[in-house]
Amino acid sequence: METNLEYLKTVAATFSEEIAGATLDTPAKSEEFRIRFLGQRRGVIPKLFKTIPDLPKQDRRSAGQLLNALRNEAQATLESAIEQHRVKTSSAGDIDLTLPGRHSQWAGSRHPITLALAKITDIFKHMGFAIAEGPEIEDDWHNFSALNFPADHPARDMQDTLFVEEPGEGRAGAMMRTHTSPVQIRTMMAGEPPFRLIAPGRVFRNEAITYKSYCLFHQVEGLVVDEGVTMADLKHTLTGFARAFFGDDVKMRFRPSFFPFTEPSGEVDIWWDLPDHPEGGRWMEILGSGMVHPNVLDAVGIDSERYTGYAFGMGIERPAMLRYGIDDIRIFYENDVRFLAQFQLL
Amino acid sequence: MKISYNWLSEYVVHELSPEDLAHALTMSGLEVEDILHLGPSLDGVVVGRVVSVRPHPNADRLTLCDVDLGTDELVPIVCGAPNVAADQRVPVATIGTHLTIGEKVLKIKKSKIRGQTSMGMICAEDELGLSDDHSGIMVLSEDAVVGEPLVDYLEKEGQETNDTVLDIAITPNRADATSHIGVARDVSALQNVPLSHPEVTIPPDGGETSQHINVDIQCPDLCRRYAAMIVTDIIIGPSPAWLKQRLEAIGLRSINNVVDATNYVMYECGQPLHAFDYDRIAEQRIVVRESVEGEEFTTLDGKKHTLPKGVVLICDGERPVAIGGIMGGENSEVDETTSNVLIEGAWFCPSRTRRSARALGMSTDASYRFERGVDTDSQAWATTRVAALIAELGGGSVTPGIVDAHPHPPTETRVDLRLARVPKILGIRIPRKDILRILTSLGFEPQEACDTISCTVPSCRPDIHLEIDLIEEIARIYGFDRIQALPSAPLPTSIPVTRPIDLMRERVHAYLNGHGFREIYTNSLLPDDQALQFSQAVIEADYPPVRTLNAVSRSMATMRPSLLPGMLNVMQHNANHGQRTLRFYELGHVFHLSEHEAAFIENYSEYEVLLFGISGPVRPQSWDGSIPLADFFDIKGDVEKLLSLLNLEFLGMEPSVEPTGITAHHITLSVNKKWIGTIARLSDEIQAAYDLPDPVFFATFNWTRLALICEEQPAAVYAPVPRYPVVERDIAMVVDSQQPVGPMINKVREAGQALLKNVDIFDIYKGKGIAPGKKSVAFSLRFGANRTLRDQEIDHIVQNIVTTLSAQFGAELRA
Repeated sequence: METNLEYLKTVAATFSEEIAGATLDTPAKSEEFRIRFLGQRRGVIPKLFKTIPDLPKQDRRSAGQLLNALRNEAQATLESAIEQHRVKTSSAGDIDLTLPGRHSQWAGSRHPITLALAKITDIFKHMGFAIAEGPEIEDDWHNFSALNFPADHPARDMQDTLFVEEPGEGRAGAMMRTHTSPVQIRTMMAGEPPFRLIAPGRVFRNEAITYKSYCLFHQVEGLVVDEGVTMADLKHTLTGFARAFFGDDVKMRFRPSFFPFTEPSGEVDIWWDLPDHPEGGRWMEILGSGMVHPNVLDAVGIDSERYTGYAFGMGIERPAMLRYGIDDIRIFYENDVRFLAQFQLL
Repeated sequence: MKISYNWLSEYVVHELSPEDLAHALTMSGLEVEDILHLGPSLDGVVVGRVVSVRPHPNADRLTLCDVDLGTDELVPIVCGAPNVAADQRVPVATIGTHLTIGEKVLKIKKSKIRGQTSMGMICAEDELGLSDDHSGIMVLSEDAVVGEPLVDYLEKEGQETNDTVLDIAITPNRADATSHIGVARDVSALQNVPLSHPEVTIPPDGGETSQHINVDIQCPDLCRRYAAMIVTDIIIGPSPAWLKQRLEAIGLRSINNVVDATNYVMYECGQPLHAFDYDRIAEQRIVVRESVEGEEFTTLDGKKHTLPKGVVLICDGERPVAIGGIMGGENSEVDETTSNVLIEGAWFCPSRTRRSARALGMSTDASYRFERGVDTDSQAWATTRVAALIAELGGGSVTPGIVDAHPHPPTETRVDLRLARVPKILGIRIPRKDILRILTSLGFEPQEACDTISCTVPSCRPDIHLEIDLIEEIARIYGFDRIQALPSAPLPTSIPVTRPIDLMRERVHAYLNGHGFREIYTNSLLPDDQALQFSQAVIEADYPPVRTLNAVSRSMATMRPSLLPGMLNVMQHNANHGQRTLRFYELGHVFHLSEHEAAFIENYSEYEVLLFGISGPVRPQSWDGSIPLADFFDIKGDVEKLLSLLNLEFLGMEPSVEPTGITAHHITLSVNKKWIGTIARLSDEIQAAYDLPDPVFFATFNWTRLALICEEQPAAVYAPVPRYPVVERDIAMVVDSQQPVGPMINKVREAGQALLKNVDIFDIYKGKGIAPGKKSVAFSLRFGANRTLRDQEIDHIVQNIVTTLSAQFGAELRA
């Protein structure tokens, strides 16, 4: 470009006028101004600086001073504008800070049964238990026979079984599992001792729906098989669980009971304070347990002389109802938002 | 089963209060579920002496009495009973006493009856709850001590006024505990006190009885023993008060002296008994046989049954007269005309009894006991005992002798207990002497031999077969509470780590919760038509749903083939309750009949599904604008985000605008041509059928398969973070308005090669400035590399992209 000092002076004067007259009342205008005058690539002042080497030697110094002054003018104007914006936004009087905040979404929530299951599995995970799962449709062998329920024995009446349609002729009918104990069998069939696992899941009972019973519920089963496992280990685990779940001051008792797949079998009750009750409270059964019956170990090919084990199982709904003071089991499956929302904090 | 405290105490002398007894039984395996106190409260009722009587001046039927209650003054009482007389000792309810008469509670107050003061009440037996007698006041014996509480008087007279009933939940293994003697046996073992059996002398086999009845057991495996006795010349009538009291205490209705006697002995020793009208037994014969298919029989409750094959029938010379182990027949029932009875005490096979009872839909006190296993040696004892009782109550005579058909007397069962095994199971050492004492008191006749104790299983314990059974017996009597929890336990050497599927589930929960979805749990059982309707269309193949065989109701007839109907029910429920925002998810199993997709059980396909759905406003209302309703791209966005969180962005998506029965339009997601999920808008018809106001969008996945694929993905590897600036370019391309954008994005990615890091669509525009039938699609492109990018190379790539879009889709760069 043909240039000289005079020309530079004229241009600088024009720009200077423009700078002085700029109204930089918004950040966008300031940014536009910055790009126009000071932008590294396209700004007019840096461009003018690039012309200095083309000037005669004696003019270069004056030109430099001229352009430096111009640049300072632009910078000062820009900085003062930016300062103005800063003052303006932080002291703006017309913002209503009492308006509600903007919510990108509503609160979500986990179902209370998921929460109770998570709490229970969490306790057992801390005690070194792995988690195992299995199918909800089971065959007689896994659900009953391998668990030492003889055919035509009243022990089967303890669990009203829901049978499902057979796809072909003459096949043994399958059933909806009545407990998660078949997972014990599947796990033991698939591996070698030691075992230390819990099996959470949905189980079915062929019962009419009322406020206190539902055709399905959820359960956590536990199994430990190793050398040298005794009922003292079982009590250790269950006591630890009850304290972790219900609190260190929980009052519990362990009394004999019957399950075909454990022997000796026992049930754990915890004392539940009820201020209106004549005795101030009552014992509530929370879980069944016992030493794995040798017939069960034999059924899955584990040497019942060498290995012993314990098993336990508990429903989820009942302790959850106890804990939250719910008196109708159906509310878990109704899924009313006003019910579900109560659990988003838990 | 109900156990009377007073009755129980006839067989075992113990020091336990009803509450302590209940606790002791509960803690040894007979769980007492309830304690019921029976009998009237006689607090405030004392013995009085009627000193003088005179007629009431204003009422013919009333008498004015002066009664001595052992206090300083005589008490005036107005009495309405005809039998009141001077010098009688009578029960008097004093002021303040609460009498329970029937359902009502009467509080005795000072009162005026027709102008005469009455300071108490002279009571009849029914007013005290002692009997139903209201014929007159109760007159006590002459040596009754005036002023003494009536309870003390009655006790001296040997009359029980109160009882406590323990309701015990009998576990299926404890057949031996279904009677008072059975429970008393446990008490004797727990308290270390003797058990006393009533004295019974079983008559010699045969005798005169065998001339009057012949027993032929044709199925000796199903009926191992049949004892029969005859009582003649009895008078059927009501039972005496003591017997009624015993039976009513445990919740049985008194019927007549013969039936009550059989029930009494059954609840005493556990052996079910049946009394036939002997004169209605043809040919003096009892034949025990199995039924043939279709035989008809009317039981004594008047119900007519068509029998399946294999039910044990008790027959006379001509016809069946009872269903063995379950119920007698109407044709041979004891009634008021009966004078001679034939008593049956038999043993029936537990499993056959259970099968027959279930087939007939019957459950009786007898079948309950036979199913569990009745004592194999109690038949002759119980038959003799009840025969004597019937003779006594009915004034008849027992025919000498007994017919005791016993084709296969049971062999003695012996079980050995290794002492060393006890601590290996129980974790405590129980002293040998305690083990021996417990086994002895439970009837196991233990014999020591070195380190082993050899036991004979008593005939009342069919549940004991193995050493572990003996260990349980020892533990429950010794006390579970005496087993101490370990103070600490060693850590297992293999520490389990959280399974990938659990980590993935956690991620899904966290994402969905953070995006306003609420988790729901819905029923796995659906009405059949609903299951059929939803078994197709949104899953990979049209397999039939799995029907249940014995559902309790039609609304729960079929296993769910899809989670969708459950969620729609929940949406409907909440919409009906004023909830506009519907955002739900569920993880649960679904079921199909399928030979191809079998998972665990042959012919059944079962897998876990993740379903989430939305309907209503897309986000909460705000003060600066209206909120649109959720649409397909909201749910699709959630799917894309979830897949990226699971490292599964590569899933193939196949769109379809063809409506199915369930969906208006949908996208199918697959991996290697295998269905893995669907994103869809619910059809308008189904939306309307569930009364939902706004369109419903949902996404459903085969979570089992998805999790497997996810697990197979390589673990994340660190890549250095680029330190060089990115370059952004925007281009707008004009294409036919029908042109899908998805394939264009894919082509842009291909043409952009490695330097193109990200493609976004920031505008789709039709209208002014764009030719009719066309639309402008604006792409935002982001380039980056581990070096400074030059303008020219970016220009070159952008040009390449434009050229590709033009060639593939006829797109033109928007001016």
